[in-house]
Amino acid sequence: MNSTTAVHTGTRPDTAGRHRSATRRLVASELRLFGRDPLTLTFVLAFPIVSMLVIGGSFGTTPDEVFPVNPAHWYVASYFTVVIGATGLVMLPVHIASYRERGVLRRLTASGFPRWSFALAQLVIGLAAVTVSGAALLSVAAPVYGVPHVDHVARVVLGMAVGAATFVSLGVLLGTVMPSARAAQAVGLLLFFPSFLLGVGGPPPAVMSPALRELAGKLPLAVANDAIREPWLGIGTGTGQLLATAVLGMAAAGLAARRTSL
Amino acid sequence: MTSSTPEPVVRVRGLTKTYGDRVVVDALDLDVRPGEVLGLIGANGAGKTTTVECLQGLRRPDTGTIRVLGMDPLRDAARLRGLVGSQLQDSGLPERMRVHEALSLFSGPRARDGDRLLERFGLAGRRGSAFGGMSGGERQRLFLVLALLNQPRLVILDELTQGLDPAARREVWAAVAQLRNAGTTVLLVTHELDQAELLCDRVVAMRAGRVLDRGTPAELVARHAANATVQFGLPPGPTAESLAALHALPGVHDVVRSGDRVTVHGDRTAIAHTGAWLVTRGRVPADLRVDVPDLEEALLALLEPRTDVREVA
Repeated sequence: MNSTTAVHTGTRPDTAGRHRSATRRLVASELRLFGRDPLTLTFVLAFPIVSMLVIGGSFGTTPDEVFPVNPAHWYVASYFTVVIGATGLVMLPVHIASYRERGVLRRLTASGFPRWSFALAQLVIGLAAVTVSGAALLSVAAPVYGVPHVDHVARVVLGMAVGAATFVSLGVLLGTVMPSARAAQAVGLLLFFPSFLLGVGGPPPAVMSPALRELAGKLPLAVANDAIREPWLGIGTGTGQLLATAVLGMAAAGLAARRTSL
Repeated sequence: MTSSTPEPVVRVRGLTKTYGDRVVVDALDLDVRPGEVLGLIGANGAGKTTTVECLQGLRRPDTGTIRVLGMDPLRDAARLRGLVGSQLQDSGLPERMRVHEALSLFSGPRARDGDRLLERFGLAGRRGSAFGGMSGGERQRLFLVLALLNQPRLVILDELTQGLDPAARREVWAAVAQLRNAGTTVLLVTHELDQAELLCDRVVAMRAGRVLDRGTPAELVARHAANATVQFGLPPGPTAESLAALHALPGVHDVVRSGDRVTVHGDRTAIAHTGAWLVTRGRVPADLRVDVPDLEEALLALLEPRTDVREVA
């Protein structure tokens, strides 16, 4: 048996006085890695922009019996929610499930990261993804179709914030219940595309059959979209949809926080 | 450590853990003393990993008490985890995380200079490499660096070399030998018994959640391994007299003749006495072969008790 209990070589002075907290270190690390994730760059950043450019130019710029406003503006206002859906339903579930699959979460737990640090880090990167990709989307839309006038700024900002927080929470929850990254990707895409096509970025509700329109109107992503699009384009207040999204968000956040405590 | 009878770093009494109807750890007692390398050995399913997960507060025991550095791993998890460095089985890092970023992420307030640790474990040149691009041996050495980064008072290493090729295993075991030489308290979970024998001060052998035996590797070998054997071609001279003389040597238990070959069974001292006897006969056989029992043999004997049947001379 040896006589000492610690290795003394290579030790530097204690830096506790200026040491970053474990949560801050984890958030900083996650933000750094977020920028390197190809799924984020393609699906959250590029896909909404490309889709918006294609479909935004497909129906002209004149309102008619199908589009209550300029069709291009209808889609520009809608595609911010596509970013929210791609982040919450695909990016985060795959990211978190892959961490659990590879034992990253076990390592974080055993290394003493605070209980809620991982959930907080995911909230930050989810909101960062929505902010950066949403800003990129509007920056690309501006010179091509123009960014539609915001009829009620506070309601739109609130709708965006609540929608983003709700779907980030849903994404974290999904990521914690999926057994693997592949399963998360499969389920995430299965949830995302019907919501995207029926409720947000696909054909306008006016051309759908009554049954399909009824179904589309109840999809959570479509509800969140209405909470943003209606006050943006001045075609409604979106109050009911905002409240419904907030209730869903609170439930998802509560469950996600319980599931992600390290 | 200044006390003459220091408290164990780890003290476990009556630890029991079940999954459904299956008892995985059954009334386990375990002590890890300061400065020692303790090997927890046993076949898959012996309950080793569950035990160390309970020690780290990652699983809640059904019954029993656990104290690590005097603390309860569940109640005092936040304090304790900063004092224990661990390499958990099946744990990893994000593929795109670079080595220096991992050091930054896992550096707590007590962290030592990560670059010096990288240098010590041969990873200085990989500082900017992504985890996903590293070899298996490099990854495990990085895990060792991370386990040591915050100057832990206890290091837990669970199946450190699982899935590695022989060259990578050698790299990793050399790194563990460095810990041992530096006096770090290590709980080593492994099924690589040759390395356990080389590196561990004491070993605890487990099967089906229970401790089969514990002691130094030499003690376990002495208690459970088969005899040492010395084999050689029959020397010239009267056969019966030679066999009788060999049988009379100190430490020899029996002598078996098979054709023109002789096998001497006995404890380790029998090896020296047989060699001396051969030398006094004037000619050391060129086909001399000596087999010394090791920890692997002892563990096999422990796991599968058997009765040796020999033709006694």
